[in-house]
Amino acid sequence: MLVEYPKPRWSDKFLLLDLLEGLKTTLRELFKPKVTVRYPEERMEPADRFRGMFKFSYDRCIACKLCAVACPIDIIYIDVHDEMIEEGGKKKKIKVLDRYDIDVKRCMFCALCEEACPTKPKSIWLTTKTYELASYDRNDLYFNMQQLEYWDDRPKYTGLPDDGERPQIDETRLLKG
Amino acid sequence: MNKALMTYLVWPVAKFLIAFIIVQVIVAAMNWIERRLLGLMQARLGPNRVGPKGLLQIIADPIKFILKEDIVPSSAEKVAYYLGPMLPLLPAFVVFCLIPYGPPPTFTVTRVNVGLLLILALTSTAVYGIILGGWASNNKYSLMGGLRSAAQMVSYEVPFGLSIVGVLMITGSLDLVTIVRYQEINAWNFLPQIVACFIFLVSMNAENNRTPFDLPEAESELVAGYHTEYSAMKFAFFMLGEYSMMIVNSSLIVTLFFGGWTLGMFGFGLTTEVLKGMGLLGGLIGATIFFVKVMLFLLMYVWFRATFPRFRFDQLMDLGWKFMIPLALANIFVTGIFILLGQERLMYWIGIVTIALAAFYLFKPKRAAAQKVVHAS
Repeated sequence: MLVEYPKPRWSDKFLLLDLLEGLKTTLRELFKPKVTVRYPEERMEPADRFRGMFKFSYDRCIACKLCAVACPIDIIYIDVHDEMIEEGGKKKKIKVLDRYDIDVKRCMFCALCEEACPTKPKSIWLTTKTYELASYDRNDLYFNMQQLEYWDDRPKYTGLPDDGERPQIDETRLLKG
Repeated sequence: MNKALMTYLVWPVAKFLIAFIIVQVIVAAMNWIERRLLGLMQARLGPNRVGPKGLLQIIADPIKFILKEDIVPSSAEKVAYYLGPMLPLLPAFVVFCLIPYGPPPTFTVTRVNVGLLLILALTSTAVYGIILGGWASNNKYSLMGGLRSAAQMVSYEVPFGLSIVGVLMITGSLDLVTIVRYQEINAWNFLPQIVACFIFLVSMNAENNRTPFDLPEAESELVAGYHTEYSAMKFAFFMLGEYSMMIVNSSLIVTLFFGGWTLGMFGFGLTTEVLKGMGLLGGLIGATIFFVKVMLFLLMYVWFRATFPRFRFDQLMDLGWKFMIPLALANIFVTGIFILLGQERLMYWIGIVTIALAAFYLFKPKRAAAQKVVHAS
């Protein structure tokens, strides 16, 4: 496709209207509101289908390991043992979770584990809208069962590492769960 | 105290220092103003982290410059390397003695009857520092930046000087005070000399190596141009020199074309006589008017920088030699004819009509779709 522009008119050339038009444009931009989000003070709310930090529910989980199978990089570690319980006079075998760890530092947030989960509602899900997962130590990014369930909200930005306390998950709160 | 000592040493030095301090404050503030305004014009915010609205950036930048390590390349030509950043500063500072920034005699440091020539001579020496700095760095990019700067400044010095000739012809004086006094009685010079004003505006951008003529420091081609190897205070000196020269040139265009410290035409408004009648207060008002006008032109530099893309070097030379210089010569010729015919008032109408036409075409409702699509067969 060829685009043919009209020949510049005498008045355009003589009065430098193109340059003046450019100046007008930049001057108009000067007074327009800016879209910049000043991050630590202002935050954007992610979309509803945004895949953020994991959340896990111990009560809903049936220990089927389907999520670990679905994980393309095998970063979900599950250990299970069987237990016999009595329910209404009948003996019943159930699986009990010993370990449900996710190595989040290697995770790519593909949410295939969430898709694979057969429980309703899902017992592992990523629609938490939490994305502030940065850490000062990579070992902080290995989450166990309690941490996955009870992190609630990631700690907010508290300052630079030299300023004092590092943002950390409250250990005492985790143990209560 | 000796009266002669007061008249010839103490007062001039005091006045110069006051003007100098004001100018240095403007230079420091310009750093922040330029970055902030550039950001706002480019749909972002610009520096806003240090202090309220980022205002403390004005203090933070000099502190950073002072504390940074001063690296001198081992292969640099030492004397020239140290001399480079200082040379552009000297003329910029000296010129402030010559520019009247308020009604005389209180607000002029010196009154030289060839002031304009002296200013032209001094400002054109600023290029030596850039060439020396670029050459002494022993870096091919710096050298190329220095050479480009030299070629550019020499080219644009010609239309710069020629555009002033028209003003000299109608005012009949090289004394800046007389030029301002002429403008308050007649119209400001940008009306009769609109072409000269345009040429002056363009060549003062080129003189200062500002966008769209910032080829000596074109970061996409030459790293940083002549100041690639400079760091810390030496780099700050280059910046200081550049911004001081910007203020010098803005002061010049205000004095020559926009009525200096006055705010009146045809003898009406805030003319020198009115300001003198108010005593010291009038003088201060005059100085304020002058610096506000200078600030407007400094903002214009930033505005141009935000708007126009950089020239290619041959286009730059073409513009200088094939367009600006013939235009400036034609302007002198036409001005001469008008003066010969005694029709100087007629020149005002040329300026007024040009400005009115540009404003009309610029602000009239949008033209119909400006392009026609042709399908290639």
